[in-house]
Amino acid sequence: MTKSSTRDPSSRQARQGRRGWRDALLALLSATAAGAVCAGPYIPASDAAILAEVPVGAQHADVSVRRLAQGRLDVALPLAQFYIGQARATGDLRFLGYAEAVLGPWVGKDSPDATALVYLATIEQSRHAFDKALLTLDRALSLRRDNPQAWLTRATVLRVQGQYDEAGAACTQFAAGADEVSAAICSQGVIALQGGLASAYAALARLPVQTMAAPERAWRDSELGEMAARLGDDGAAERWFASSLASNRNDFYVLGAYADLLLRGHRPAQVLQLLRGKDSIEPLLLRIAIAQKQLHDPGLRDSQARLAAAFAAESARGESIHRREQARYLLQVESRPREALAAALLNWQVQREPDDGLVLVAAAQACGVPQSAATAVTVLHLQGVRDDGIAHPFQDTP
Amino acid sequence: MTLLPRLVLLAGLFLAATASAHVASNSFLHLAVTGDRVEGSLELSLRDAELALGLDANRDGKVSWGEVRTAQGSLATYFQSHLHLNVPEGACDVKFGSVMISDRVDGAYIWQPLAAICPGRPQLMTVAYRLLDEEDPSHRGLLSLTAREVTQSAVLGGPRVVQQFDLARPSALNAFREYLQAGIGHIWSGIDHLLFLLSLLLPAVLLRREDRWQAQPAALPALLNIMKVVTAFTLAHSITLGLAAFDLVRIPSRLTESVIAASIIVAALNNVMPWVTHARWRIAFAFGLLHGFGFASVLTELGLPAGARIVSLVAFNLGVEAGQLAVVLLVMPVAYVLRRTAIYRFGVLPWGSLAIAGLASVWFVQRALG
Repeated sequence: MTKSSTRDPSSRQARQGRRGWRDALLALLSATAAGAVCAGPYIPASDAAILAEVPVGAQHADVSVRRLAQGRLDVALPLAQFYIGQARATGDLRFLGYAEAVLGPWVGKDSPDATALVYLATIEQSRHAFDKALLTLDRALSLRRDNPQAWLTRATVLRVQGQYDEAGAACTQFAAGADEVSAAICSQGVIALQGGLASAYAALARLPVQTMAAPERAWRDSELGEMAARLGDDGAAERWFASSLASNRNDFYVLGAYADLLLRGHRPAQVLQLLRGKDSIEPLLLRIAIAQKQLHDPGLRDSQARLAAAFAAESARGESIHRREQARYLLQVESRPREALAAALLNWQVQREPDDGLVLVAAAQACGVPQSAATAVTVLHLQGVRDDGIAHPFQDTP
Repeated sequence: MTLLPRLVLLAGLFLAATASAHVASNSFLHLAVTGDRVEGSLELSLRDAELALGLDANRDGKVSWGEVRTAQGSLATYFQSHLHLNVPEGACDVKFGSVMISDRVDGAYIWQPLAAICPGRPQLMTVAYRLLDEEDPSHRGLLSLTAREVTQSAVLGGPRVVQQFDLARPSALNAFREYLQAGIGHIWSGIDHLLFLLSLLLPAVLLRREDRWQAQPAALPALLNIMKVVTAFTLAHSITLGLAAFDLVRIPSRLTESVIAASIIVAALNNVMPWVTHARWRIAFAFGLLHGFGFASVLTELGLPAGARIVSLVAFNLGVEAGQLAVVLLVMPVAYVLRRTAIYRFGVLPWGSLAIAGLASVWFVQRALG
């Protein structure tokens, strides 16, 4: 099942107190640390020094399989799927490139394959190239209209863009070729964002779990967790997220949403526990950094340097895959509201999930120009976020 | 993948094997052209080098320095066949030196020095970049190319394998235009800078006599007042903007932003309960120094293009001034016309100033404590 790897509900930042000076000092130190990382070339002391670990699937030895995939679709598709799975599990963007390379001969103009095109659209979606992904899906659907996975991916992309009517229509098409549970999750997820949050929540919660496959259950529970969080029922949200993770431990989207819930509940120590070992995944590293900041953890310097470098590398390439994270980083970790607002506004042009609206509202508030988030506020109301959550996106409810 | 050991970090070292941030695949190509010679370096991630040509000879999933050293010859061959520099007169002869290692945030990189001799002194140079074109279509080379003291940057690879660079004409004009716009844009979006200036300018068309505001009888003193305040503010923030842009002075952003908010409160309250009644340009100058750091934070985000740093800085500053001047020209004639009215002296000035001070207080609390 395709699931947006881009969503990660925002949290309300814990009360900061008078920590400004200390944070500022940390930021300064982190900048120094970032500089030290690129200290210049050197010759390692011994031949035995290990410089890098090569993850499975990224070894040159696989070259023969990759060559084989150039001529055989039955090799290319599972290999691409494996790479996309690796990218999801590890957050390593390079794997998306490997998958793209494998799919190359099967997505060209000459004799494209519908499944290969859906995989390519998934890659494009993961890179937040949403318009491109929609075009690729159009190509896939023109080859084969009866293609549930293509419809579901289309629904997901349109939903991220905030085009709910079209997303709902794609869910209807998806339902024609999918089982009842998946169909319900797709359509109720969209209805919930169109003003029907309470009814969608009830409908999904009512689905019988006995017949649900584990991936479906994980998907449903994560949707329910998100809805509960928007409804302001943090206790229920936590139960749903935990249940979703029980079925799929490594879903970094759910991990991010769960971490946000914990941050909002002033439980930063639990965030670090939850995300231990997941710091290579940028959106999760962001949550780690926010938690470290709340805890005055010296590890913040390292996280900050790594996030800053990742954002810098992205902008050097002229990309903005993690603009939402960047906005939150600038706002909540660096305390640079102006730049955060600029990033949040640009991000809002591309994605319109509740988190995108919340980070925009928070940045606009911090800059003293709440009116620049007026559209976002309207959309957030429609999406079912409570007034209180909109008024204080990153703050405590007293 | 565990969190980095803190001690390692404090020592300023970074062990690539222990952590990997997930950035996309980039290489870093630095080229400096002098006459017919090119010198520089190519940095390629060990991950990418392994994928493209295989470094892990013993296939244990780890790349050791010994394995990199052994692969030096095949690395040079790979680079030679995948990276080409050409000038109109023909191909440059590129040679690769001994490999070293550099550490970046996402892991260890091969650092490969290179030197080339080109036929003739190039005005144009073509860079053809095909590294990892088979293995990872999302791989890019981030080029910084310096010639005649101008540095250009470009993204190599992907859809743009072959790119041409004009070494003769500096791109200073483009940089100037871009940063001028950024400067103008910033003063319009940076409402706090404007409110500060406005607070100082509102009383410029008035006189303080016997604890009362009176209309300035003549135009010239009012104009002089305005010019002094604007000039002092401009001078002050230009100084600090320059200092910060060249990284000579660094002030934490939270401090800058808080003090900027405080400066608005001071300037606005000074209109309600005046204690600096003449030569208000002194306030403009003193706090203008801090506003300069505020402007600099925007510039830091944009980055100053190497090679056109001064031009860009001047352009950005001019942009800020132009935006500022536009507001002054818009507001001050109205203020001048209205200066004799009670509405201006007892309404706009005190209550407007109080409103500004109130807004700035909210910002101050948010910025200092938030």
